[in-house]
Amino acid sequence: MKKEASTQVVEVPDRGSSRRSFLKLMGATGASSALAGVMPKLKYFEPDQVGEAQSVGLGQWLPTTCQGCTSWCSVQVYVIDGRAVKVRGNPNSKVNGEASCPRAHLGLQQVYDPDRVKTPMKRTNPKKGPGEDPQFVPISWDEALDTIADKLMELRDNNETHKYMLMRGRYSYMRDIIYDRMPKIIGSPNNISHSAICAEAEKFGPYYTEGEWAYRQYDVLNTNYILLWGADPLSANRQVSYYLSAWGDVLDRAKCVAIDPRLTATAVKSAEWMPIRPGTDGALAVAMAHVILTEGLWYKPFVGDFVDGVNLFVPGKTVDEAAFQEVYTSGLVKWWNIELKDKTPEWAAEITGLSAEQIRRVATEYGKAAPHAISWVGGGPVMQPRGAYGCMAAHALNGLVGAVDNVGGTLKANKEYTQSFPAPDDYVDEIAKKGKSKEKIDQRGRKEFPALKKGKSGKGVVTNNAADAIVNEDPYEIKVAIGYMNNFAFSCPQTARWYEALAKIPFLVHITTHASEFSWFADIILPSTHHMFEKYGYLKAFGNGYRHVTLNLPVIEPVWDVYTDETEIPWMIAEKLASRGFDNLLRHYQSYVDPETGAAPTNAEEFALYALKYATHKLWDPAKHEGGDKFSGWEEFKSVGVWNSDPYPYRKRWGAMKTATGKFEFYSETLKAALEGHAKKHSTDVDDILKTCNYTARGELAFVPHFEEPLVHGDEDEYPLLFVDYKSRLNREGRSANCTWYQELRDLDPGDEAWADVAKFNPLDAEKLGIKTGDKIKLISPTGELTCTAKVWEGVRPGTVAKAYGQGHWSYGRVAAAEFGKTPRGGNNNDLIPADYDRLSGSSAFYGFFRVKVEKV
Amino acid sequence: MTKYAMVIDLQRCAGCGGCIIACKNENNLSQGVSWASKISWTVGTFPNVRFTYIPTLCNHCQNAPCVAACPTGAMYKTENGITMLDTDKCIGCRYCMAACPYGVIHFNATESQAFWKDDTALMAGTSSPVEVTAAVGAKVMPYYNPEREATLPGIRPAGTVEKCTFCDHRLEEGLLPYCVEACPAQARIFGDLDDPSSDVSKLISRYQPMRLRESLGTEPKVYYIRGFHPGSYKKTYGGLG
Repeated sequence: MKKEASTQVVEVPDRGSSRRSFLKLMGATGASSALAGVMPKLKYFEPDQVGEAQSVGLGQWLPTTCQGCTSWCSVQVYVIDGRAVKVRGNPNSKVNGEASCPRAHLGLQQVYDPDRVKTPMKRTNPKKGPGEDPQFVPISWDEALDTIADKLMELRDNNETHKYMLMRGRYSYMRDIIYDRMPKIIGSPNNISHSAICAEAEKFGPYYTEGEWAYRQYDVLNTNYILLWGADPLSANRQVSYYLSAWGDVLDRAKCVAIDPRLTATAVKSAEWMPIRPGTDGALAVAMAHVILTEGLWYKPFVGDFVDGVNLFVPGKTVDEAAFQEVYTSGLVKWWNIELKDKTPEWAAEITGLSAEQIRRVATEYGKAAPHAISWVGGGPVMQPRGAYGCMAAHALNGLVGAVDNVGGTLKANKEYTQSFPAPDDYVDEIAKKGKSKEKIDQRGRKEFPALKKGKSGKGVVTNNAADAIVNEDPYEIKVAIGYMNNFAFSCPQTARWYEALAKIPFLVHITTHASEFSWFADIILPSTHHMFEKYGYLKAFGNGYRHVTLNLPVIEPVWDVYTDETEIPWMIAEKLASRGFDNLLRHYQSYVDPETGAAPTNAEEFALYALKYATHKLWDPAKHEGGDKFSGWEEFKSVGVWNSDPYPYRKRWGAMKTATGKFEFYSETLKAALEGHAKKHSTDVDDILKTCNYTARGELAFVPHFEEPLVHGDEDEYPLLFVDYKSRLNREGRSANCTWYQELRDLDPGDEAWADVAKFNPLDAEKLGIKTGDKIKLISPTGELTCTAKVWEGVRPGTVAKAYGQGHWSYGRVAAAEFGKTPRGGNNNDLIPADYDRLSGSSAFYGFFRVKVEKV
Repeated sequence: MTKYAMVIDLQRCAGCGGCIIACKNENNLSQGVSWASKISWTVGTFPNVRFTYIPTLCNHCQNAPCVAACPTGAMYKTENGITMLDTDKCIGCRYCMAACPYGVIHFNATESQAFWKDDTALMAGTSSPVEVTAAVGAKVMPYYNPEREATLPGIRPAGTVEKCTFCDHRLEEGLLPYCVEACPAQARIFGDLDDPSSDVSKLISRYQPMRLRESLGTEPKVYYIRGFHPGSYKKTYGGLG
């Protein structure tokens, strides 16, 4: 089939107008006149700019990592003459292997986006606001870094280093260089991560039942049943590539049930859809637990049994705790007595809008599939006010059926052997110590913000509250701030609060690839390398029974004069601080020596490389090997790009969980201790804490998984529809809207449309509201509004309106915005979403907790 | 003799569109052009609703109406069954498009990759599309794939049609079509229909395959097996209401 071979034409049926007769016609009359009126434009016969024969295989597949979402797939990039041309899964990974989800390809349109910032810039318009053009002008790296160093030195000189703040969005595990060490050594407590706008509430249930503050992996190829609670793994987060690769086989052996008010991409590929009323997942979960117990379907080798073998779980009847002998769990009978005994499917049907028959049947099927039966808790049902308890309830089902840590069940991450960067302690001086002892700017740990990460009051972040705290100068003002790979002015609910907060910060620096909404408020923009193509870093991710540590590698030369956010830029700032007489940070960074040669870094690039080699030392140095894949040295590791763990050790944690009891806790002694700790800190009792934090539970109910009535913003009469937010399968978090492939193919999300941002209404609601497909509409919540297009679609629950997050950029680039700097393309859901919290986890609420009204525009 | 065919396993397909983007990438397709595409629609009434998805591409019909319609021989069958295009011979008459029952042929009414011809920057400190392409030393656009040039112009000129070639430029080097390699679900299986031991032959024998608009007699070489929608339903006789 080379050019010459391709002239061999196979006979095809003649339908009258053969080439010969056509050419005759051309000869007689000329091509253009022969076809006049047939076609608007003929090919013009000038030399092609392309067309020379080229053989396949011009490039090389080089490894790196995709951070389009938090799957963190190991990938390979096809590089031809120093250009990135294609992307695929890295076959060396045991997590995602050669599979690559669709969003990975979009990385190419990001790294080569003309709208990338290619040089440092400073604002020349002192006025800051969403409608104020910053009038950025290019400056040198020297000028940018000098200005930043001067501002930091000013804080040091005035003993107010705590007024420095670092905001972190997406990250690699090089993060601690800029996120932890730099604020500590300068002297600030204010390293504010994005974690609480991610899915911290998803970690709450697992922590307070089985002692793991972490996301989970699901053993899908060995399972018989999957309950998906607002999780959409074929579309968004986590291990999308892996689950896409496995799902066809999963369906051969497992029944999947999608619980979601919207017909999701995974619901489409599930046997059953339970279109639940938003915010009521906790009710469904406890009713399922009720059925599993009353039907005697719990997994006895894990949970235990009644002493005399008779099932005393009878609806409405309390049970004597002594009658049941538990094995690897704790508090089952207490849970039954406190919460479950009256929670029948009929009770849940009223609340959830599902039928009692379906609830009973699905619960029974799930129980019968024990222990290979997964209850998969996603962000939807838990990133809500009071979501912590819904998360516990849905996750606790895994405990009932013995799926925790078991074959075909829910697993934690495998062990890996990366190491922390050198400790900063020797470089933290008195000024820094004093500064970093101040309260953190997000107010975590206050009475109304327990943020009980890993059992400790105020250990978790309350990202979105930082905006209010900055505006109110409570606990103090922020004078100098740096943000990197974040866009809180777009990604945090109730965005206008961030506009105000960022405008108020006297000196704001943004390290970014694109001039985003956050950048719009910056005094200085520092252009960053793209994580997938231009940066040294590493990520840890798990799935398919393995964990991988996958490298971000500079597979191409940076396209522009850009440096890496987490390593090179802090080094360059450290150099500038040193030249101003404060060299602690630089001396600390110089202690990251190359493990191979013992050499200390002498420049930013060496620092980035040595830091990576240092952190991953035990993975690639055969003399330090502790487990998993073994390499001959750094060069081999770098060429493979990924280290894989040992296989998962099933059931190793049965009886050895990191809870107060060492067991899987249906009555959480661990949560009890955490809540009591927080109450004691504020000299009050747990009930008062729960009241302050807007939970309904009082007394013992606070320590068991239970249903909390959803807290909803907006009166039903004024705001008729509950809003359902979700993530597009082409979202690279909030960063892909400037890619044309994103816009062209937004209709890959069920119900969505290309080049559009549609809010989807059930036909019943559309009729009531007089809305038609294609109408330009305004959605209005109690705290904000946006403009988008209406679509009437059967895939949404009546009484709700569903719209994807991702569009609505008024900045970012020529494709993302309808008019750059002025008019958004579609609407940003976060303009609509009120700032509220699941306060026990510190999480921002995103789902099912507020109502909207609709106006035609 | 080799006769290439593709089997698409709809149970494995998750409708992610990875094939579509990968194809655009491999073949340097302009905005709005997709050689690999999909048909999707929603059926039913809440809560009994299904979203259905069928990946599509050129069917490489044995009796290809586009080939029969082409007045210049630009569209032709290769000996291994590919419906191939010789852009040099294409005069842009679009008879092939009118004849194709599947709507998988695209006409370039204007210059390809127009996005990358733009020489304006959004603001100071950013660049124009033309500038990025120049900065990385590429032809046409920064992530341009020159390997496509082996058998077709790397981008197809205005006034010509274009469509899927089963990645003939890759086949001849022993590589599978890029959509097949890129599908994360391995839902696309490619091979030789004339070889009874090939995976495509075996799958077609094992499952009753479906082909698009089979009644037209085009003999498509893209076969669909199994179902997009999983699950069962409760046994029933139905009833008379």
